Amino acid sequence: MAFFSSGSRALVEILTGLQSVERPMPVDHTLFEFGSIRYHLQASITDSENIYLSISTPSLSYEASPSSGLPEITLQETRKMYHKFAEIIEPAKEGYTLTLRLNFSGLTRPKDRTKAINQISLLQSVILSSQLKDMLASLGSSGTMKLVYNQRDPFFVSKTPVKISAIFPMRFRDDTDLAIASSFFQELQDLGSTSSFSRAPRCSWSPIPPPELRGEYVHHLTTNGGFVSFDILARYVKGRRAARTAWILLNFQSYVKYHIKCTRSYIQSRMRKRLEIMTEVIDDAKFRGNDESRKKLQVRKRSKRRSIKFARAKKLQKGFKAVIDKIKRLRLRIRVKGLDRFRRHCQCFPVLKLTMAQRKEQKYQKLE
Amino acid sequence: MRLFVALANTLRLYLTCIRNTLEAAMCLQNFPCQEVERHNKPEVELKTSPELLLNPVLICRNEAEKCLIETSINSIRISMKVKQADELENILAKKFLRFLSMRAEAFQVLRRKPVQGYDISFLITNYHCEDMHKHKLIDFIVQFMEDIDKEISELKLSVNTRGRLVATEFLKQFI
Repeated sequence: MAFFSSGSRALVEILTGLQSVERPMPVDHTLFEFGSIRYHLQASITDSENIYLSISTPSLSYEASPSSGLPEITLQETRKMYHKFAEIIEPAKEGYTLTLRLNFSGLTRPKDRTKAINQISLLQSVILSSQLKDMLASLGSSGTMKLVYNQRDPFFVSKTPVKISAIFPMRFRDDTDLAIASSFFQELQDLGSTSSFSRAPRCSWSPIPPPELRGEYVHHLTTNGGFVSFDILARYVKGRRAARTAWILLNFQSYVKYHIKCTRSYIQSRMRKRLEIMTEVIDDAKFRGNDESRKKLQVRKRSKRRSIKFARAKKLQKGFKAVIDKIKRLRLRIRVKGLDRFRRHCQCFPVLKLTMAQRKEQKYQKLE
Repeated sequence: MRLFVALANTLRLYLTCIRNTLEAAMCLQNFPCQEVERHNKPEVELKTSPELLLNPVLICRNEAEKCLIETSINSIRISMKVKQADELENILAKKFLRFLSMRAEAFQVLRRKPVQGYDISFLITNYHCEDMHKHKLIDFIVQFMEDIDKEISELKLSVNTRGRLVATEFLKQFI
């Protein structure tokens, strides 16, 4: 599922391309990722060492951070992570939440530059995880908060002194999606409780809302796919793992939808294959259904017999023609060779020649 | 193992029973409509004259799986109910049978809409019997039933296997 990798592949491609060119070239790109994340990359020939990268991400929760700007903790984390080759420009470019000036001239080795570019591609997940951290800190020791990463699918984060629970209300558009997702959730729950995944967060799936969501609006808790919750312990959010964990959880709903889409297409392709097999059987039942295949078989197995049959058919054809010719001849006036000459000489077969008046007189009478 | 053998045996018996019934019932002839002049319609569908209809035969393997064979002088209608053990099988069976019904022209004998209470229906007329080998037509019906069962079971298995694999990949990300 490369689609869900936290690094932006487009950013990596553009920045690597810029580093590998011999002559400086102007760049002005605007990119969209995951529907709501927007990047802007700018570089000029006059200032070739500096590349300006701007990013715009929607706020995870308007209730927790109503302002459009990024919280201080996010800026601090970004500074800390990219201090070797980037600095934050304030104020950010218009329409974006953060602008960075990238300067890779300090990194002499190509290996370091590649590493730096890969780090830059993770900017979005760094921002999101730090935003999440900030929101959880503002929540106090315990409480529940609604987060909106995908506009259609909000989810909840509940905090207790021991753990953080990410609760996803799952809604699906039809029964097929629901059946596929239910199978997936069941497997997820079963696998999570096995010893091989004891280090992964505990996952539970229930048709009723968990007690942490008590007091939430009813329309937020109305689902057809139940509630999937992950228990995140402190060890999953330690240090660099925090960004990764946040990224995985934020994309959980998209992950499920992608799985459903793939499974649906798989079912469709299987059904098509089965249809072909089934129609072959009914085609085979026809008397003249598979003439070509039958002919091929006959040519292979009974080629000798076939040639004899052909000869017979030709003879028959000839015979048939002869019969038709005979019929034609019978229907024609009988001609005897030399009869005309004989008739002229002997006058023994006089043919009456009637005038029109005579013909009218000699009308035949209709029999009753 | 014993259970599987027993299930296979019951399926074999069920299919043999359907095959024998179809062999007996499929003696169709051209018969124009008695009510309307110059009309030639499948009597099993119209049911205009009771003397042209035979007694319908219902063959049941269990409550969920059954086959209704309705016979008349010039046509025969076979309706089937496919087993749907759980929600996933129910969805897959519905999806697959709808898919087939939408492509009914490929089968010629498949009815676009099943008889009420059944999942899929076939209508075989005397014209079909004139165009096709009778024994192969019966083979097709029996194989169709086998294939449907097999396909739904396989689909269910593969959906669950895919779910398990995707769940494994998801949880692996945390480790």
